[in-house]
Amino acid sequence: MKLLTCPMNGTRPLSEFIFGGEYRDAPDQKTCTDKAWAAYVHNRSGAPGDKKEWWYHSPSGTWFIAERNTLTDKVSRTYLLGTQHANSSANPVLEEGK
Amino acid sequence: MQSTDMSNIAQTSPVAHAQTGSKAKWDVVNGMKIAIEFSGSEIEKSKKKILGVTDTSCLSRYGVKGPQASQWLADRGVAIPSNPNSWTLCNQTSLVLRLGSSEFLIEDQLTGVTCNQLSKDTVRTAGVYKVPRADAAFVLSGSEVSNLLSELCSLDLREKSLLAHDVIMTQVAGVSAVLWRQMLNGEPVYRIICDGTYGPYMWDVLLEIAIELGGGAVGLACYQN
Amino acid sequence: MIFRIPKKDGEWVNRDKKISFSFEGETFSAFEGDTITSALWAAGQKVLGRSFKYHRPRGVLSLANHDVNVLVTDGIDTNIRADVVEVTDGMVLTAVNTSGGVKKDKNSYIDSISPLLPVGFYYKAFHTPRRFFPFWEKVIRKAAGLGVVNFNYPRILKRKQHAHCDVLIIGAGPTGLTAAYTASQAGLEVIIVDENSQAGGSLTYNRGGDTTTTVKHLNDLLAKVTSQPNITLKTASYAAGYYPDHLIPIVSHEGMIKVRAKTVIIASGAFEQPPVFRYNDLPGVMLGSAAQRLIYRYGVKPFNNGVVVTANDYGYRVALDLMDAGTKVVAVVDMRKGINGGRDAIDLGMRGVKIYAGHCVYEALASSDKSSVRGAVICAYDDKNSVALTQNKFTLECDGIAMSAGWAPAAALLYQAGTGMLFDSGVEQFVPSRLPAGMFAAGKVNGIYEFEQRINDGVRAANQALRYLGFGAPQNVIEKHNGLSPSHPYPMVPHEKGKNFVDFDEDIQIKDFVNAAKEGFDNIELMKRFTTVGMGPSQGKHSNMNAIRILANIRGLPVEKVGTTTSRPFFHPTPIGHLGGRGFHSHRLTSLHDWHQEHGAVFTDIGAWKRAAYYPAAGQSRDEAVQDEAMAVRKAAGIIDGSSFGKIEIHGPDAAVFLERFFTGVYHNQKVGTYRHVMLLDESGVIVDDGIASRLADDLFYISVGTSNAAAVYREMQRYQQMWQLNIGLVNVTGAFGTINIAGPAAREILSTLTDLDLSYDTFPVGHVREGQVAGVDVRLIRVAFVSDFAYEMHLPMAKVPHVWNALMAAGAKHGLRPFGSDTQRLLRLEMGHAMPGVDTDGLTNPFEVGADASIKMNKPYFIGQRSLEILAKRPLRKQLVPFVLAENFKGEMPMDCNLVIDGREILGRVTSVAYSRFIDRCIGFAYVSPAKKEVGSEFQIRTDSGSLVTARVVITPFFKN
Repeated sequence: MKLLTCPMNGTRPLSEFIFGGEYRDAPDQKTCTDKAWAAYVHNRSGAPGDKKEWWYHSPSGTWFIAERNTLTDKVSRTYLLGTQHANSSANPVLEEGK
Repeated sequence: MQSTDMSNIAQTSPVAHAQTGSKAKWDVVNGMKIAIEFSGSEIEKSKKKILGVTDTSCLSRYGVKGPQASQWLADRGVAIPSNPNSWTLCNQTSLVLRLGSSEFLIEDQLTGVTCNQLSKDTVRTAGVYKVPRADAAFVLSGSEVSNLLSELCSLDLREKSLLAHDVIMTQVAGVSAVLWRQMLNGEPVYRIICDGTYGPYMWDVLLEIAIELGGGAVGLACYQN
Repeated sequence: MIFRIPKKDGEWVNRDKKISFSFEGETFSAFEGDTITSALWAAGQKVLGRSFKYHRPRGVLSLANHDVNVLVTDGIDTNIRADVVEVTDGMVLTAVNTSGGVKKDKNSYIDSISPLLPVGFYYKAFHTPRRFFPFWEKVIRKAAGLGVVNFNYPRILKRKQHAHCDVLIIGAGPTGLTAAYTASQAGLEVIIVDENSQAGGSLTYNRGGDTTTTVKHLNDLLAKVTSQPNITLKTASYAAGYYPDHLIPIVSHEGMIKVRAKTVIIASGAFEQPPVFRYNDLPGVMLGSAAQRLIYRYGVKPFNNGVVVTANDYGYRVALDLMDAGTKVVAVVDMRKGINGGRDAIDLGMRGVKIYAGHCVYEALASSDKSSVRGAVICAYDDKNSVALTQNKFTLECDGIAMSAGWAPAAALLYQAGTGMLFDSGVEQFVPSRLPAGMFAAGKVNGIYEFEQRINDGVRAANQALRYLGFGAPQNVIEKHNGLSPSHPYPMVPHEKGKNFVDFDEDIQIKDFVNAAKEGFDNIELMKRFTTVGMGPSQGKHSNMNAIRILANIRGLPVEKVGTTTSRPFFHPTPIGHLGGRGFHSHRLTSLHDWHQEHGAVFTDIGAWKRAAYYPAAGQSRDEAVQDEAMAVRKAAGIIDGSSFGKIEIHGPDAAVFLERFFTGVYHNQKVGTYRHVMLLDESGVIVDDGIASRLADDLFYISVGTSNAAAVYREMQRYQQMWQLNIGLVNVTGAFGTINIAGPAAREILSTLTDLDLSYDTFPVGHVREGQVAGVDVRLIRVAFVSDFAYEMHLPMAKVPHVWNALMAAGAKHGLRPFGSDTQRLLRLEMGHAMPGVDTDGLTNPFEVGADASIKMNKPYFIGQRSLEILAKRPLRKQLVPFVLAENFKGEMPMDCNLVIDGREILGRVTSVAYSRFIDRCIGFAYVSPAKKEVGSEFQIRTDSGSLVTARVVITPFFKN
């Protein structure tokens, strides 16, 4: 099972977390067109790459953002929304392989 | 309307449902009916050394959260753990657990009075929100606790990994729980608390494994001096 | 035990403890520590099993669980892998998959008609015409399968534990043991596991005739490892698979341990691969390493007169070991040209063993009853073109053949972890080329074969792991394999009559691959599925590498271009009981659970909760009980434990602002002491949940929502609060507060005996909230009209709920007060005409479709889902939830939830709730219909389960008048 690092509670198995979907900035609902709003609500980019995601640490009730590459499944950093500094590096970088 | 004397209101430990079949002796501690003895103090003392499971739900607890909670407690003389997810001792008789950064759970040990004092303060204060507690609380003692926990929790909770004042919010047997180590009557024990509505389930799970490992139910009397 | 040889150092059997067991009705004796197979072989039993497809007699192949020639049944337990499972006293064993016993299996005729059953035969033969397939399916299913599953198999509880370490090492051979010792020197916590019942790997059987040196090597290594307190050595435990971030389940008889390691060293060795020649599956033809295991682990002589066929230097060691066991080695047949085998060959020559270089075993000869080997036909072999040159073939008499042709890496976990593998032609083997972070490979799995080099490679891997963990450790360089390859590139001997087996599990021969390729299945993954190679119980451990080589040969490609099939957990079959573990099913109980039990409640699971659904009197059906309880609420009074409702406090100066953003309604002007409806939408405007918000103070709202969505609603509140950063505090009191609802015309009078609060309908109407005491307990009292217009809902500390409940029950006795459960509540709210999110809505329902327009305040600046509703409001409705009744005295087939609303051939909608109400004496419900049918009085058709049509008519709610 994958590990994920909650910025408040540290590294935990994925079973302690609930996925909250991709973090996306909503368009201004007062000025955007119906089409732009519908695209925001219904469309998701499935293209692999770096994504910001909502994750919820269930036992402590902590929502946070994880930046994850959906191709490699590597989480580069996790942080509480609004505190953009990286609290952790969930996966140590390869020091040396063979 | 009939008048009722509040002191006669029978509260029962949230765990009690799981103990109804046992031959437990019951007593009222802090206004809560709780099992204080299961199989006799000598047997329980020996089980306690291997793996004892004790219901301590009757200990008084007080919860508070909010941006001003830390200051509010400090103003009332409560010791504040300096780091999130750690605990400290207050007046030698109460534990103060810091859950995350701005939520606190105070638990009076058998002789503590902090919760009682705090609960008298009913003035609503900005940025301080009372968190009503109805926890099921357990003490796990003995040499086989790590063995038991290794089946219920995926974290490394051995003594060398779970530091003396760490507070862990994790899942135990699939239920959200708070877990820490402490001394109780001079003995090192593990503590688990979870929502009281999960109490009977948690008791059943803990006891089933404890019995398999040579331990068993230990009444609160074993810890009452 | 006629094949038992004198005791040698290091053997695994305890000759002081004799055991008795039976196999196929015959009694055998064994020593403690014997496997089932070793005990039978020691007794001279050769036919130990029957093959899956052709029912051919089979004996020992690998003796290492790399094949399933010998699967046995013991009582209710079946498919026991006899090669590796220790025999115990009193076992009563039979071979699986036979008709009439392993010796005279009646199904062995299938072998003689095998030319009629090529691979793919079933796919082609039985699917047309389709109407016959069910018949053939029964026949095929009866013929297929190995052991028969006993459905009385008990649930055997196995522990499933977690463990943590710095270094996890898979494989306790010389490489793994060395790596463990090296890593332990830095003070790291090391776990090393091995599937064998004892550690040592090849040191426990591969001796080349030199017991003294080998045993000393092993004992020295084990002494070093066991002297380290920070090394945990687990034998008889296999690594079942690899899961992300180095989580590896270790499975043993006792259960499963999920090890979370900081680093992993795979030192799992290699599987010996059989050369492929006609009748290479006869009992008595076995891998060289299997013969060695028999000799040194169990003290069993594999056969009396043996031929060793080899395609590497390993076979020469096997020959020496056979001689050490007292076997007469008739000849060593080396498929390679020239002088090979080094010192071992010279040794053998000096001891009079004939060596045939550039020769092969063309075929093994079977005894008349096909149960054993009587000879080997030898001929020259052109190993460049893989052709047997049969002109000068000759026969050597023997009763056994040991085979050594090469190895395949035991790389399952490496593949599962995403390791890049390259084919190294120096060792004719796939080796790791790009390892995941924190993962290392060493020893044979890494293409390192010489003993000293394997030791060095263990040190190298451990040091690499240490550096990865931030410790200082030297960088060791391991030389590449020097000399002839330990594996032959193509150890196949074609034979016009076939029966040269590649996959022993599935009876697959060389020609099956040729045929598969001809049919177009010439990609390795397609070929696997068409031929089923590697799909048997041993999952290709002894067959995949040869299959890849054959496919490469057919296609004229180098092996690395063919690639490998995907490796998946589990490495060995893992019992479901192990996976299930103790089977935790967490659940929540209210403080009244004992009371409900004592009063005969039937419980139902709602979300995480066990709720009382209804309280049947003796012999009463659910329906009768529910109607009785509902009647009590309508005519007198009922009481329900609603403690599972979601309950959330929202404190702070911005509490009303938060509510107005979060829910669809308006709250800033809500008066203290009242409640308002709350409805939560998602961003697309779909209904998530609803409930009520009671304003207890200017800066305190108390929210109650349904049971099943409570956790999700609270979670969403936390998420939006993190975005909005309002001056509020959220407190989830779901478990801390319990709820009692007392409802019915007598409710007010019953309650009034226990409280000073003014309960009159005029001054405390529906929509209002009071705080006060009931039976001496502080409660929040809400005049909610969900199940009845005459209802009072109390919210109070969970532990005090039983006290108030009992007081109410006592006070209500003379008024006919009775408890009602959640099933009854569903009927009552239906009678009241309340639609329930999640019951009468689904994941696509918007508020307009349920007629909740009044709850939507569009002229607010913002609420979740508002913008989507603006768009939806411009569009015509597609469906509408309507209340309906069936005809008076309806006696037809009762429609069910989810039955469709039909108009001709068109589906208009579906029924979401339907029930008979005794109080109204009518069948009532909710259904989605097309907007054209939404007007009161419209009629529509519901199609029942059996297909009959029932007419329903749209009405207004509530369904009854008080």
